[in-house]
Amino acid sequence: MALSDIIRDNINSLNYFLPELLLTGLVLLMIIADLLLKKERSPWMSIIALIGSGVVLFAIINQYELGSRSIFNNMLAVDEFSIFFKLLFLATTILVIFLSIASVELSGRSVGEYFTLLMILTLGLFLMASATHMITIFIAIELVSIISFALVTYLKTRRRSSEAGLKYAIYGAFSSGLMLYGISILYGLTGTLNIYEIGEVLAGRDTNSLALLISVLLIMAGFGYKIASVPFHFWSPDVYEGAPTPITAFLSIGPKAAGFAVIIRFFNVALSNYDGVAEQWLALSNINWPQIIAVIAAATMTLGNLVAIAQDNVKRLLAYSSIAHAGYALLGVVVLSSQGVYATLFYLVVYYFMNLGAFFVVIIFQDIIGSEKIDDFKGLASRAPIPAIAMGVFLFSLTGLPPTAGFIGKFYLFAALIKAGPEFYWLAIVGLLNSVVALYYYARILKAMFFDKISEGVSPEPLKISPYYVTLLAVLGIPTILVGLYWAPLANLASHSVHFLPTF
Amino acid sequence: MNITLFDTIFYLLAFLTLGSAAIMVFSKNVIYSAVGLLFTFFGVAGIYVLLAADFVAVVQVLVYVGGILILLLFGVMLSNKITNIEITTETLHFLPASLVVIGIFVVLYRVFITTDWNPVGSYNFDPTTHEIGTLLMTDYLIPFEIASILLLGALIGAAYIARKD
Repeated sequence: MALSDIIRDNINSLNYFLPELLLTGLVLLMIIADLLLKKERSPWMSIIALIGSGVVLFAIINQYELGSRSIFNNMLAVDEFSIFFKLLFLATTILVIFLSIASVELSGRSVGEYFTLLMILTLGLFLMASATHMITIFIAIELVSIISFALVTYLKTRRRSSEAGLKYAIYGAFSSGLMLYGISILYGLTGTLNIYEIGEVLAGRDTNSLALLISVLLIMAGFGYKIASVPFHFWSPDVYEGAPTPITAFLSIGPKAAGFAVIIRFFNVALSNYDGVAEQWLALSNINWPQIIAVIAAATMTLGNLVAIAQDNVKRLLAYSSIAHAGYALLGVVVLSSQGVYATLFYLVVYYFMNLGAFFVVIIFQDIIGSEKIDDFKGLASRAPIPAIAMGVFLFSLTGLPPTAGFIGKFYLFAALIKAGPEFYWLAIVGLLNSVVALYYYARILKAMFFDKISEGVSPEPLKISPYYVTLLAVLGIPTILVGLYWAPLANLASHSVHFLPTF
Repeated sequence: MNITLFDTIFYLLAFLTLGSAAIMVFSKNVIYSAVGLLFTFFGVAGIYVLLAADFVAVVQVLVYVGGILILLLFGVMLSNKITNIEITTETLHFLPASLVVIGIFVVLYRVFITTDWNPVGSYNFDPTTHEIGTLLMTDYLIPFEIASILLLGALIGAAYIARKD
């Protein structure tokens, strides 16, 4: 392609890049605003972030009308798939801003950098969802990781927060190194880093399966680190426990969902070929990718659930439970079918509500009673009925019991798995057994709140829950039940979002 | 086997890189490790030159040797008594670790020997700076711009963490 064509493509792409450009502008605006507003502990930074997010939201919705296109010389894709994820990320950011405003942990810290970094992190997630070139994928993952390190360490005077940040950074550096090594092998094999071209090259000729296997496993180290799948999950409990709780909530949704976006795109575009008749992707080369991911999925959910049983700290318990949920969401990736991708997308939205909700209840109790131990949650139902009942809804949904959204989400995942054929039945059984284990440890929290007597020495008088908290709980709790009863709109959105480039 | 001048230089550089990397890892003294790292960086820069990547080689020396390593040394020297600290790297799982490492080595060795790589073919020793500059402004515009945002964010984060408040 001639140089002028490339430049023209870059300029034409700007129109399709509007949400990211606006987000970058917002970040710069916030840096300047922070300088001007420094003296006052004002709520202005969060207000600017919220208004900016609103503008970005419109720009994203507007992208539906522009249609799918590969932009910046095949570096990024604008398609229904990436728009779906951008909406999910922006929703996460907006909610986390609301949670952060209320958080007692963060009060007294300078809020300027906090919200600025949060918006940069969101930009990184956007790029991860649309990256179609190994370099863009890598640098987007790094953007998300490095900003996360800073945010995890935000309570720098608290020892556990600093420790969490350092652990996160060391694991991050290690997994990035492995991923880069894998990418370099893949480049040696195919001579290109563009995932469309990688797919073409792999379809066109036989490659050494062993080399391809090693390179993809190494690349999975980077992706697996982002979704916290076994064996790249070691950082997650310590980081989730040490980070400020709003950031923990953010990390358990945002980067995880972005990791899924990258995994789905990479496996379905670079390593498989779409068969339009069967609505199924066929794995290129003679490596059985589905069974390899299936093993990772099974190990992830089993380990997450089994270790969660032994936890006494609710934040740690939710960290292990979120490892397990990454395993469930992988069930949809395993089968390489439209239905599977669709089930994963659906599950991620459901997970957004129930997991953020559970973390929010932890924030409320942590702010009021100053503890996140299960033992200290005893008898909270009588002292603060509304958050306790909301917690019940979120935990039921996380377990996957009807009539909650979690049930529908799991139902779609298992349906996709069963439909894919008998070679995945074992995985479905592992998944079901895991749900039973999950019921046990979620029930422990509920038992402590609803059935245990208040510990001696703790006053039994009711806790004051501000209307702001109640509103936020309703925003998260009502959809968790509503989607369990009437899920057609969300299902429609998810099934529209399965379309990604190259169009099929 | 026919050993050319190219091969000889390559093996010398590889020996320099790996040897000083070993010193870096095994030395008990942080300063020795840093000096070992210095020669590793130089060795890698030499290999870049050998592969006609002049710009990358210069950047390697400027950024890694001139920037990161000097910063590291200052960090070590300005920190109190860090030079004499016994770094307790107790090899707790010596046997399993060595088995895993040998296993990985065998697999990677097989991969590199048996793979039909996709070589770039012959190359000239022409300056690459012009081409890299063009590519950064055309094909790779977006990764280049994302990197600038990344650096901005890293700067804000680092300033916040390092600040007293």
